[in-house]
Amino acid sequence: MIKLMKYELRKTWFTKLILLGITAVAEIIYLVGLYTDREGTMSAGITLLFVLAIGGLLVIGLESVLVLHRDMNTKQGYMLFMTPNSCYKILGAKVLECGISILLTGAFFFALGLLDLSLLFARQGMLNTLWQQIQSFLSSLTIYGRPLVINVSTISALCFSILTGWISTITTAYLADVISSSLLNGRKFNGLISFLLFVALSWGFSELNTLVTHGITDTVTMLWIYGVFELVIATVMYFVTAHLMDKYLSV
Amino acid sequence: MITSKGLTRKFGSKTAVDNVDLTLEAGHVYAMLGPNGSGKTTWMKMAAGLMKPTSGEILFEGTPIGINSRRSVAYMSTEPYFYTWMSVRDVGQYYQDFFDDFSMEKYRILLKDMELEEGMKTRTLSSGMMAKLKIAVTLARNARVYMLDEPFNGIDLLARDEIRRCILQEAGPEKLLILSSHLVEEMEAIADRAVFIRQGKLIEVRDLQEMRETDQVSMADRYREIYGHAEG
Repeated sequence: MIKLMKYELRKTWFTKLILLGITAVAEIIYLVGLYTDREGTMSAGITLLFVLAIGGLLVIGLESVLVLHRDMNTKQGYMLFMTPNSCYKILGAKVLECGISILLTGAFFFALGLLDLSLLFARQGMLNTLWQQIQSFLSSLTIYGRPLVINVSTISALCFSILTGWISTITTAYLADVISSSLLNGRKFNGLISFLLFVALSWGFSELNTLVTHGITDTVTMLWIYGVFELVIATVMYFVTAHLMDKYLSV
Repeated sequence: MITSKGLTRKFGSKTAVDNVDLTLEAGHVYAMLGPNGSGKTTWMKMAAGLMKPTSGEILFEGTPIGINSRRSVAYMSTEPYFYTWMSVRDVGQYYQDFFDDFSMEKYRILLKDMELEEGMKTRTLSSGMMAKLKIAVTLARNARVYMLDEPFNGIDLLARDEIRRCILQEAGPEKLLILSSHLVEEMEAIADRAVFIRQGKLIEVRDLQEMRETDQVSMADRYREIYGHAEG
């Protein structure tokens, strides 16, 4: 499994390096703005970092789906599928590598955000005032109509639900892609059908999750239940997808 | 060693392999022969576990093709299949990571024989060099079954001699070699049995020595008889 994960990482390494490179540039822009007191430059850096944090998580997930697609639809897939590994192991390595990459990327940008915020406070010497302003802003936020109280518990639950939610979306995309490449292979509009299937499944799971979390007033509890539900969906998607690969996939 | 029973593979309305019953035994080198589109590659891909049959089954030592057979079967596709980011060294490392029977030492010797360098990037290799690399990495496995699809494609005469020598080195009483090629005369020097396939159907499996003695025909002659007649 570790070896499979190593090669999954290698396949996406270049994109991750580019992401890291652009992040370094954005960080430099931010720091230059901060230490030369140019608010415009600093804002540009912050905006770019924010976009990279969200975009980075999206790109890692999307690339993972593209890599699976390439493995199933090009001759390079022979490299993977001729090895003595089951489809459960092959897909498991993909899910794990993608999940860990998303987790680490999220953690990296979160840590970078905290660091940059600390530098800003230290530079401007108004730590308490700024922190109060930020808290005041955050307290005005709501999630699913519920007030968002920012503390460690909320942040943990939020991160967990975002992570599992995104992984569940990715595994649903895996399933749609595997159906397109196996059961629908060679048929007209297989790409469109699998895309519509992905949209329908994602919508269905979202509705189901809304039902499951309905009536829970505590935001943190709601986020944890939401996250666990998404994890269950991701697990079910993984097993169904691996089963289809095992039974029907030809590369 | 490898047996297919009623093996059929369809692509839409086209039947690439049609109800093929075939048993290939250890200790032999089989030449799988037939014109383009006769089903050789499809049969091999099913034997390698890369393609699922539409119906029928294919067995390796009595059990369906799967994870265990992939440990013992070294398959070389006719198309290039290495990841484009790989160097020649990476290809060897990949095989070492996944196949217990792979020998890095043997791989390096074969690379030297094929005049390939470990630092070369696979995406920059010519078709001939790519063909040599595929041969080198496949034969560096101490597999029980070697399936080489068009091993001489894109390879010059001198390199072909080298490849023929390398392939024959792998032959042995415990091993099964299956080769497909359009170069029938080339195959005659390597194989001791021939599998003739036409339009997805198995025509016959012949022992070449016996065929030469009883029918007084070479493999190439028999090829002309079967396919020349069909095409005419």
